[in-house]
Amino acid sequence: MTDLLTAAAVTKSYGGITALSRADFSARAGEVHALLGENGAGKSTFIQILAGAVRPDGGQVHLAGSLYRPRNPQAAQDAGISPVFQELSLIPDLTVEQNIWFRREPLSVARTVRARALREATEALFARHQFPTIRPDQELRRLTLADRQLVEIAKALSSDPKVLILDEATSALGPRETDWLLGLSQGLARAGTLVIYISHRLGEVRQIADRITVFRNGATVAAYDTKAVDDETIIADMLGRRMDRLYPERKPTATERVAVRLRGFGVGHRLDGIDLDLREGEVLGVAGMQGHGQRELFQALFGIGGARGSVEIWGKTKTIRGPRQALTGRDGLALVPEDRRNHGLLLSRSVRENLTLSVISRFTRFGITDPKREGKLVDEMISALKIKAGTPEQLAGTLSGGNQQKVIFGKMLLTEARILLLYDPTRGIDVGTKGEIFQLMRDLAAKGYAILFYSSDLAELVHVADRVAVLRNGRLAAILEGDDNSERQILRAAMIETRAA
Amino acid sequence: MTMATLEHQPDGAATRQGRAAFWRGRLLAQASLIIPCLMLAALLALYGSLREGVFTIDELNLDTAAAMTLLLAATGQTIVLLRGGIDLSIGGMISLGTVLAATRFGSDPAQAAAWAFGIAAIGALVGALNGALITVLRLQPFLVTLATWSILSGTAMIILPTDGGSLPAGWMKFGFSQWLGLSSSVWLLLLLLAFWFWFKRTRLGISIRATGSNERSAFLSGVSPLGINVATYGLSGLFAALAALYLTTQTGAGSPTIGKDYILPSVAAAVIGGISLFGGRGGLVGTIIGAYILTIIGNLVFVLEVSSYWQPIVSGIILLIAVLASSIAEKSARRSLT
Repeated sequence: MTDLLTAAAVTKSYGGITALSRADFSARAGEVHALLGENGAGKSTFIQILAGAVRPDGGQVHLAGSLYRPRNPQAAQDAGISPVFQELSLIPDLTVEQNIWFRREPLSVARTVRARALREATEALFARHQFPTIRPDQELRRLTLADRQLVEIAKALSSDPKVLILDEATSALGPRETDWLLGLSQGLARAGTLVIYISHRLGEVRQIADRITVFRNGATVAAYDTKAVDDETIIADMLGRRMDRLYPERKPTATERVAVRLRGFGVGHRLDGIDLDLREGEVLGVAGMQGHGQRELFQALFGIGGARGSVEIWGKTKTIRGPRQALTGRDGLALVPEDRRNHGLLLSRSVRENLTLSVISRFTRFGITDPKREGKLVDEMISALKIKAGTPEQLAGTLSGGNQQKVIFGKMLLTEARILLLYDPTRGIDVGTKGEIFQLMRDLAAKGYAILFYSSDLAELVHVADRVAVLRNGRLAAILEGDDNSERQILRAAMIETRAA
Repeated sequence: MTMATLEHQPDGAATRQGRAAFWRGRLLAQASLIIPCLMLAALLALYGSLREGVFTIDELNLDTAAAMTLLLAATGQTIVLLRGGIDLSIGGMISLGTVLAATRFGSDPAQAAAWAFGIAAIGALVGALNGALITVLRLQPFLVTLATWSILSGTAMIILPTDGGSLPAGWMKFGFSQWLGLSSSVWLLLLLLAFWFWFKRTRLGISIRATGSNERSAFLSGVSPLGINVATYGLSGLFAALAALYLTTQTGAGSPTIGKDYILPSVAAAVIGGISLFGGRGGLVGTIIGAYILTIIGNLVFVLEVSSYWQPIVSGIILLIAVLASSIAEKSARRSLT
């Protein structure tokens, strides 16, 4: 059987920077084909070429035997290639259904959109692919990140593509939606679609991918049948060297001193009766199914959204009224937010400005900033965190995802707060940087930092956290440690009552 | 372990609570329209308590006639604001439209009709040019339309340096004509509403709003930057020209300076009516309510026999209250829904 999609020696550079030096790719109809590589390996550029958003400098792509050269995203879609981008391409003020069928709406004789037909098409699409429940008439800006990702997937599926590209599509999803998407990908492949699957989660890739292509530094380095290759080899291909270990050694460093003590903590009806102690030197994991109160817990601790109950920070009763209050000084809290592109970073500002934005007072005298002292703080952070930026003046938006995340870490560490709230800090970043971030977390804990850590990837909680607090329906379902801290036990705690109800 | 098969069922209390929060959220989401409605009701109640015969068809006919020029100008402005832009040139276009009408209509009905269409076409063309300049030169709409406003105003001055000129007698009867007890202005309002309910459901209408909401996403989905701007500003120019034509049926003269009186009020009417200056949010119904609010304030100042300078002061306060109230409502809506 001939391949549906082949790319040969595709190249692309931006200015002097080479994004793709030699990308080869070949995939069949009816398979799930994983595309792996570190951030900056050229995966994004490659799929943007497939999606018609970027034009290659050289090389050829063939689709179903004929030369494929889309002029724009529209042309790519007409040719049957639908991408689900990590960067969402949806419109906040349109409803779910308007977004899914945007520019392809069913029209009446008067050239207006037929509301009923639009609804029926949406419901049929949701039913056909067994989508998790989303209201079609809800405005997109009122949805969670996970639900928006689902709409993005629905939009891609609505044109019945021959090739579906999923770029880190599960990184915004909870375990339940992730399982659904994995099943869906396999189902689509069985029905003859080519699913190109990009993920940093090897477990998912192993579960569904028939074949794997690995990119490194803008070139294809290997292609395998999934069954014929082990994880170590794949990671070694991605990194160009054997990865020592993804997860750092975990030495218990927690002391008896309590950094954050919550009693009867709650927010609205989404979080209630939380009793929790976060100790100095501890990484405390937080787990739960999507929407069971994890986000509310982090936001309330950071002063977003009113909270009730008692909060003690380093032994003192506190009311945190807003982010400014939470941030202040060595007794403060610092947050790595969920949506780093919108909430954590000013993309059009430099690395330096991003790092020092919330700590301007640290290098200000008599209301005037001291560029030398600022420069020193910035240089220290860049070298400590190994942020790969040409100069401190490089725009944050031009960094890779992993390096952007490091800038956010740097910004947080500069506040000198010793209580860190990390909300999914490794979402959508590459394996190498993930390893560095885990190492950093353990190092900080050893220095006496107290870290509250939520991850949508359970394996990270199991391997990095000392203890894991599991939330269910906004309540604390269990605190797991030692041998109980396993993916199996976390899932049991997160779901077991749900099963009974 | 498969989780997709598990049904997630919150208990009954949570559902009830959730439902209450849901309806509260929906209500708050509509707040930017509900608030101006309440304001208009309050103003009308005050007006009605001060004067006889406020709640009659005659009063509706009068107020609609008084509001119509602003309403037409604000319709174009609404479309531009939904796109996330602003159109200052409507001031120049209105002035130019009135002086062209007052100097070119003559007394031959056929000639007048031809020029009326001509003025509408000039409006659409100038607007389209605005849109093209904004897209091709990648300039701020504020700057481009400020420039075209100045150019159009100057042109109007050259054609007719002072207020004056004349219009055919039949033309000025338009405002007095009635059908089924409703004045031509009220029928025009209904026509405008019909246009809007059609337009907002067309692909162009949705695309304009979508582009205002998130330009990049809209362009990625196949919206043409040039096309959308030409259409948006072209419509705005067309409505400004229509506003000018309507204005001449009332004043019976041309004025090279009158247009500037409609620039900021057209924005104010839209914003009071819940349209976001950041684009993507709101609709013409809000703008219509906003235009009536501004008109009723004028009536109130007249009835109360206070200095007419109070009108802009009260309008400004109303504008602030409307914007503040919708912003508070939007914030609590967001809280209760996410």
